[in-house]
Amino acid sequence: MPLLAAAAVWLCTVMVLVVWSVMGGFLSMLIGSGRTVTGDVIIAWPNAGFPYYHDLIDRLQKEPLVDAAAPMIESFGMLSLPDGRLQHALIRGVDGPSYARVTKYADTLWWKPIARPLDKDTDGMDPRLHGLGRSSWEQVFQNGMTLTRRSEITGEPEAAIVPGVEVTGFNSRRPEGYYVPKVMEKRLPDGSTAELDQFLPRDGKILIHMAPLSATGKAVEMTSRTFPVANEFQSGVYEFDQEFVLMRLDAAQEMLRLNAAKRLEKRDGPTGGGPRVVAPGEETFDDPAEQLVDDPARVTHVIVKGKGDTATSEGSQALKAACRRVYGEFAAAHAGSVPGSGDIRIFTWEDKNRTMINAVQKETSLLLFLFMLISLVAVFLILAIFWSMVAEKTKDIGVLRAVGAGSAGIAGWWISYGLAIGLVGGVLGVAGAYLVVYNINPIHDWLGRQMGIVIWDPAIYYFFKIPNEVDPAKAAWVFAGAMMSSVLGAVVPALRAAYMDPVKALRFE
Amino acid sequence: MTPVTTLTATPSQVPAASDTLPALCIVGVRKTYRLGRVRVPVLHGVDLSVSEGEFVAILGASGSGKSTLLHLAGGLDRPDKGRGEASRIEFRGVDLNTMSRGQLDRYRARDAGFVFQFYHLLPELTVLQNVVIAAMVRRGFGYAPYAAACRDAARKLLEDVGLSHRLNHRPVELSGGERQRVAIARALINEPSLLLADEPTGNLDRATGESILTMLLEIRARRKLTMLVVTHDQHTAARADRIVRLADGRVVPG
Repeated sequence: MPLLAAAAVWLCTVMVLVVWSVMGGFLSMLIGSGRTVTGDVIIAWPNAGFPYYHDLIDRLQKEPLVDAAAPMIESFGMLSLPDGRLQHALIRGVDGPSYARVTKYADTLWWKPIARPLDKDTDGMDPRLHGLGRSSWEQVFQNGMTLTRRSEITGEPEAAIVPGVEVTGFNSRRPEGYYVPKVMEKRLPDGSTAELDQFLPRDGKILIHMAPLSATGKAVEMTSRTFPVANEFQSGVYEFDQEFVLMRLDAAQEMLRLNAAKRLEKRDGPTGGGPRVVAPGEETFDDPAEQLVDDPARVTHVIVKGKGDTATSEGSQALKAACRRVYGEFAAAHAGSVPGSGDIRIFTWEDKNRTMINAVQKETSLLLFLFMLISLVAVFLILAIFWSMVAEKTKDIGVLRAVGAGSAGIAGWWISYGLAIGLVGGVLGVAGAYLVVYNINPIHDWLGRQMGIVIWDPAIYYFFKIPNEVDPAKAAWVFAGAMMSSVLGAVVPALRAAYMDPVKALRFE
Repeated sequence: MTPVTTLTATPSQVPAASDTLPALCIVGVRKTYRLGRVRVPVLHGVDLSVSEGEFVAILGASGSGKSTLLHLAGGLDRPDKGRGEASRIEFRGVDLNTMSRGQLDRYRARDAGFVFQFYHLLPELTVLQNVVIAAMVRRGFGYAPYAAACRDAARKLLEDVGLSHRLNHRPVELSGGERQRVAIARALINEPSLLLADEPTGNLDRATGESILTMLLEIRARRKLTMLVVTHDQHTAARADRIVRLADGRVVPG
């Protein structure tokens, strides 16, 4: 019977800790994922963007809490894929090196030389291990870092794009975790057909359409441009990998008309008027009341990476406050040219995804509550088991009372017994939960192979990998809970034993 | 036999033996049990005095109230509250009725040892552990420093009762006589001055019962124990210093 009680505690401990670890890990991954691709704090003025961003970045980088800052443009776009499909995407214009300082861009670039196969790739079938045709992985990686690819015609590097590895649909993800380019049948000039892999970073090009907006937010003429694919990224966040395309900052500025230009502005005086922006090369000087002024390049975002502990809410909020202060100084220095400090949007990744994070937090709490409720069964199970053990040991209790054991001693003995059961069940439960959580991905894969069950769909849960870490603090809480539940279950039977009439106990048959 | 005085005993709440006071003095004790709505009077004002070192046998038929009297003398139960009459159970001059539950527990642990007809050994424990547990109960949380001494004392006691070869056996592996010897050793481990035995030979054949009784008398002589033995067996009672007859809850003239 005590083994049954310990088994109940063990199972409940495993259950609660696994759920808490996976859901808590999911939440941590969700919060942490933003930093992988966006940094810690985002300063944004969407659509119109703001100029003098280099000055803002310089000011930010002098701030003790700031490690690095980088310019970024974010806008919607349409992709015309090589197979004729049209697909919408979120286009990010970034400057490779500075973007890599703020985010984990280099780590996310997928096509690069790797020394060891992935854990599950036991046969070493990852193409990154042994090359793919004439592609040099090191060159492909460098192309990704600089967002350029050498032109097949001029031999010169030209602006290129880096789509998420799931964007184009030309990569197949294998259960082992690596990608292989899809193979498609292609008709050759001589009329024959050949099977060719669709490895975009080698020779693939994508036509991108973007809609620049005027300063008043109205769409102006659509711009389109074909970009070679430099590399592809995999952040581990399915949403990013499926929707985002990185483009070189200058190309994005050009396509969205956010690049440097000359602006025709009325001179002050009786003939003066509002400014008129002219495209480069279209300057006219026919009106003496007008003058050409520089209209600097703009970006829609500046992303910031903090120093120290920005993973905590306090850390990221302190960084956000510092960024807001620096922006205030910057706005004062460029008054009239940049959005005021009250208008600009400054937020952390958590702020931006507050609704989703809150939903996951609530879901985690709800699940935890439900499983704790289920775990109450263990308390009642221990109570029932101990109750029947007390009944079975009635005579022994009488004997102990006869040799001088007091009520408190008897109660203490039963509660200690409950504690011992909690200790055994708790230790085994925490160990079991560690085992399950650390191996949850292989277990999930095995379930998928054997029964076709896919519980963790990356399209739903954002991540390819199920979180597999146990927080020691959570383990300690669950362990304490197991101990407490066991003691709680033992209390009533212990009191029954303690207040048993010793004479009746001795006469019990 | 080496006395178990290696154990440093905590002073008891009852005074030491006195030449003038009886060891046990029972005056006007009544006890009524309730069986649902029915009141079942068991003792109707029992008076009994047992001197220090005396062996008193309480002889009576089944249902005469002798076990109840023994339980009351051992502080396992309390008598009915008197209605004006003087009702006391005094051990060395201290009325058990005035003791708290904790004091009664300590009284049973230090001053009174019980031996039962059906031995009441703990089946999961070995012979040695069955004896040691009484010392553990007495010491409570302070047992650890005395653990080795208690084990040694238990071994010595078991050797004295002829069970040195059975220390690690479980009760189920012992004969009735052996089990009763273990129960006697358990009752004596805390060096009580009063031994309360409820039909100690009642479950044994005559020869075994005789040997147990002889052993008890030897121990009593060595330790100057006061013994109150409940029995319905004339032969057992005949070995006592004095016989008190109990019938229908009253002491009757012998």
